[in-house]
Amino acid sequence: MQIAEPLQIAIEELSKLPSIGRKTAQRLAIHLLKSDIDAVEKLLSAIQNLKTKLRFCNRCFNISTEDLCDICSNHKRDHSLICVVEEASDVIAVEKSNEYHGSYHVLAGVLSPLSGVGPESLHIKELLKRFETEEIQEIILALNPDTEGEATSLYLAKLIKPLGVKVSRIARGLPIGGDLEFADEATIGRAVLGRITL
Amino acid sequence: MILTSVKLKNFRCHKDISLSFSENLNYIVGGNGQGKTAILESIYYLCTTKSHNTNSDIEVLKFGENVFEIFGSFKNLVNDEVRVIYSSEENKKRYLQNGKHKHRLSEVIGNYPIVLLTPVDHSITFGYPGDRRKFFDSIYCQASAAYLGLLVDYNRTIRQRTSLLYSIRENRNKNFSELDAWTQKLLETGAELINYRKNFFSEFELFVKQAHSEILNGNENPGLTYFYLSGYDGKDIKDRFAELLEAKREDELRRCACLVGPHKDDFIFDINGINLKTFGSQGQHKTFQVALRFAEFFYLKEKTGKAPIFLLDDVFGELDTARSVRISENLRRVGQTFITLTDFTDISYLHKRSTDTVIKLMDGIVTYA
Ligand SMILES: [Zn+2]
Repeated sequence: MQIAEPLQIAIEELSKLPSIGRKTAQRLAIHLLKSDIDAVEKLLSAIQNLKTKLRFCNRCFNISTEDLCDICSNHKRDHSLICVVEEASDVIAVEKSNEYHGSYHVLAGVLSPLSGVGPESLHIKELLKRFETEEIQEIILALNPDTEGEATSLYLAKLIKPLGVKVSRIARGLPIGGDLEFADEATIGRAVLGRITL
Repeated sequence: MILTSVKLKNFRCHKDISLSFSENLNYIVGGNGQGKTAILESIYYLCTTKSHNTNSDIEVLKFGENVFEIFGSFKNLVNDEVRVIYSSEENKKRYLQNGKHKHRLSEVIGNYPIVLLTPVDHSITFGYPGDRRKFFDSIYCQASAAYLGLLVDYNRTIRQRTSLLYSIRENRNKNFSELDAWTQKLLETGAELINYRKNFFSEFELFVKQAHSEILNGNENPGLTYFYLSGYDGKDIKDRFAELLEAKREDELRRCACLVGPHKDDFIFDINGINLKTFGSQGQHKTFQVALRFAEFFYLKEKTGKAPIFLLDDVFGELDTARSVRISENLRRVGQTFITLTDFTDISYLHKRSTDTVIKLMDGIVTYA
């Protein structure tokens, strides 16, 4: 079977995107091929704008159109409160709840020696710098309650507590082994047999 | 829940057979190489998506074939049809329940709980601490999703911290506050795990005593001791844990291994206060192994509210007549059970009832006695 080269390249590129498999990439490419040129150009410029019009906030590393993001430059928000999250997408999640009115700090990851991620690869230095210029009273560690998130929270708590600031942590959750491959890898094998949901 | 029938295609030595089962005892009888254990293995597949014998599905495939298929009917409030299909060409396994594909283990596990007693259980009383941890973890994980989550979290912490110890030794990393954080994580999760295990053991020991006395008529008193943090038995687990971590710190850095914690736990069995592993007879070991599986059955039945299917592979060969008779009497209280036997004439004392099924396997032909 021969596939025209431009189509082949489009499929290759699309299948590099997260959670897009080969079949989905094919469907997307065919769909785009059939679409109006207008629609394709709109999509193209939307993607391009992600790179040209957006950057990371100088202070909190949230996604922003300016040097400072909308949250950092908003005087109505409580800037004595910093919620530390793993990724910019977590900011969106917390914002959707409409319950939080403080500011944020995005670490851009969590500690993971297995993947070679140490404190120097995260925006931790920048977080500590903020204590010099801002009047911070409380840090809320809202990292994912998984193994790496918890270790990172413990690391940050040890760094921040000596600064005389209140540090709080969200409640721990339970990572539960999901799919077939995962259970094999964890060698818990039949361990998950018949477990009950609490 | 009852497994009423199984069909096998190209599974181990079985080219194409159909079997129907009793909801009481099912004796599967045949000589060596007739595929008795393969029947139990196929039931294990239906309940867990995998073999208890091997991690590779291709090993189970009949020689020279490309696809094996297991088809099982469960009778419940509603009936369930379960299919497991493996293709070696695609190297793909499919699990279907009532025609619907199941992609995640968590969608399958717990629907059809199962307890298996095999000669491999030898390692639980004779083997290494790791064999015993695996046995008890598998029981407790079935009963408590919280414990399963904790165990996965703890094992991941061990892997992360070990990796960090390596990079510290290789000088790629001199950040000890990072190690302190992972040590703290190990301590918090590990202490929680120990507390869960303590609670589990105080409860599970009663099930073992009960099962053991029913098999042996109460002549011997079995005991279980949970051995954690190098034999600690005091109140504050976290303090003791921290003490040991501090003492082993240099050792851990040198050897790049996590040397303290519940991944080093052991469980000690005794009979009338005498250590089973060191002083027990073959018969006492075997009886203990059987008692542990019966305890597993009744513990899970109580905790999950479902009676597991009970599989006994080649158990009676190793036991004297008196114990075999008591075990088979106890199986009457269990529910649906599958028992493999090499020679039916040997076990006339097992008192087969009319509601039981005897399946004889001979050169691929199935007969019911
Ligand atoms: Zn910002």
